[in-house]
Amino acid sequence: MNFWLAVFRQAGRNLRQTWMSQLMTFLTVSLSVLIFAFFYLVYTNTIGASDKLSEEIRLIVYLNEEPGPEMQQQLIRKINNFDDTEEIRFVSKQEAYDRFAAQLGDDSDVLDGMPKDFLPASIEVVPLQTLRGFSEIKLFSEYLAKLPGSEKVQYGQEWMERFYYFTQLLTIVVLLSASLLILTATFMVSYTIRLTIMGRQDELELLKLVGATNSYIRTPFLLEGILQGLMGSLIGLSALYALFRWITLHFTDPGLLNMFHFNFLQPVIIAAIILTSIGLCTLGSFTSIQKFLKV
Amino acid sequence: MVEMIKVSRNYGTDIKALTDISLTIDTGEMFFLIGRSGAGKTTLLKLICNMETPSNGLIEVAGYNINNLKGKKLAHLRQKIGVAYQDFKLLNNRTVAENIAIAMEVSYKKPLAIRQTVRDLLLQLQLTDKHNTITEELSRGEQQRVALARAVANSPRLILVDEPTGNLDANTTERVMNLLSRRNKAGATIVIATHDPSIYQKGNHRVMELRDGTIHSLTRSKAS
Ligand SMILES: Nc1ncnc2c1ncn2[C@@H]1O[C@H](COP(=O)(O)OP(=O)(O)OP(=O)(O)O)[C@@H](O)[C@H]1O
Ligand SMILES: [Mg+2]
Repeated sequence: MNFWLAVFRQAGRNLRQTWMSQLMTFLTVSLSVLIFAFFYLVYTNTIGASDKLSEEIRLIVYLNEEPGPEMQQQLIRKINNFDDTEEIRFVSKQEAYDRFAAQLGDDSDVLDGMPKDFLPASIEVVPLQTLRGFSEIKLFSEYLAKLPGSEKVQYGQEWMERFYYFTQLLTIVVLLSASLLILTATFMVSYTIRLTIMGRQDELELLKLVGATNSYIRTPFLLEGILQGLMGSLIGLSALYALFRWITLHFTDPGLLNMFHFNFLQPVIIAAIILTSIGLCTLGSFTSIQKFLKV
Repeated sequence: MVEMIKVSRNYGTDIKALTDISLTIDTGEMFFLIGRSGAGKTTLLKLICNMETPSNGLIEVAGYNINNLKGKKLAHLRQKIGVAYQDFKLLNNRTVAENIAIAMEVSYKKPLAIRQTVRDLLLQLQLTDKHNTITEELSRGEQQRVALARAVANSPRLILVDEPTGNLDANTTERVMNLLSRRNKAGATIVIATHDPSIYQKGNHRVMELRDGTIHSLTRSKAS
């Protein structure tokens, strides 16, 4: 009990003596937590959205003529040769026409006079949930294009490609901001603590002479690191939450929101970020203590 | 309490601050170290409190070979040794009370007890009105007494005092010596390095004179 009293008193003195650099460190740590958590949030939401979108992926193979029942069986076998599928559905010319007409609704009269078979027959292939990577879908589509009678394969390749590169880019940004966080947390904290230690050399010497134990001298500095990590991550995450709330309140465009259902970071992730920052800051203070507080 | 066997301390190759000192100081003794400036008094005290390590020889304090002690054990032994340094080693930007409290804080004394002890000591040393003064602003004589107060604050078993009365008038000197005598009567072993004959001539104490780092004489002062 008295030990902790002494430790807190000492840590308080440290904070008072070097509050300028402490504040700087604290701000840097919060800012880098904010930057990292922001990109991570964007990343998880993008991944979430892409998962949702890929649930709706279907490849449409347009055929140059209506396949007979035998031909259908053959095609199904060939498609399943490449990989098992969730579903394979044949759409005849008639069905395509009906569907189109239904989509037009009241305007369906524009179709009057058109031949009922002007739309091509097609196969709708829903790939297995496991086959969801961009490159796999691409391979699959190339395979489907080589099927007998296949005219053209469509699966929204353009947005998929963009989305794919966007998530690649995001991954890099997340990794970069993670390294930024690691660097700032450890180096800044280790630097300020070194500053404190240097500025109090006399006192630390004296403490040793009057019989202060190692833990009496060191624990306040470790505590300082823990505190920097805790406060920095809490403030950084709170700022992110405020930003998140502001964005969801001000950009309530229903279309966008429905497609990208924005979620805040999960509690597990929040806890992980806080613990990691604490760990990194403690590591920073520990290295300084090891280097400059030889006992 | 203190046992030294053939202890030497050299600085570099040519300066021999102490040579072949063998000495036993009993528990409960009040022991005086004299000798002209540069004789090695401060060096001897620093060796006893493990602030310096001997170049040669063995030093035992309270049964421990003090130079083999490390970490917690050394810290705990140091808590039992109070030292008033010749250069005081006060923290200049702290108040008198804070400076004295440090010695007790490291052994986790209760804040209330610390405050009480500080007040008592300041009263005994006539420094009550300086309780919240920054030590930098004190006179040398006042700083000297603060250093002494810090040395005795934690009720150490061994008290080492380097020049306790150098800057003090006769009356204040007497107060300081009374404080040390009380501690001595309560069982503390006390070693005092001094130039001031008046403080050891009155009692019945052993007095050791150093000359150029060796023991010149070891006599007993007789109350006259
Ligand atoms: N850190 C040091 N480096 C080099 N020489 C030193 C050091 N400390 C002390 N000495 C030398 O050791 C000798 C003894 O010094 P010491 O301080 O023990 O003398 P003293 O008896 O305490 O003198 P005074 O009465 O003036 O305080 C001196 O010649 C001094 O110059
Ligand atoms: Mg001296």
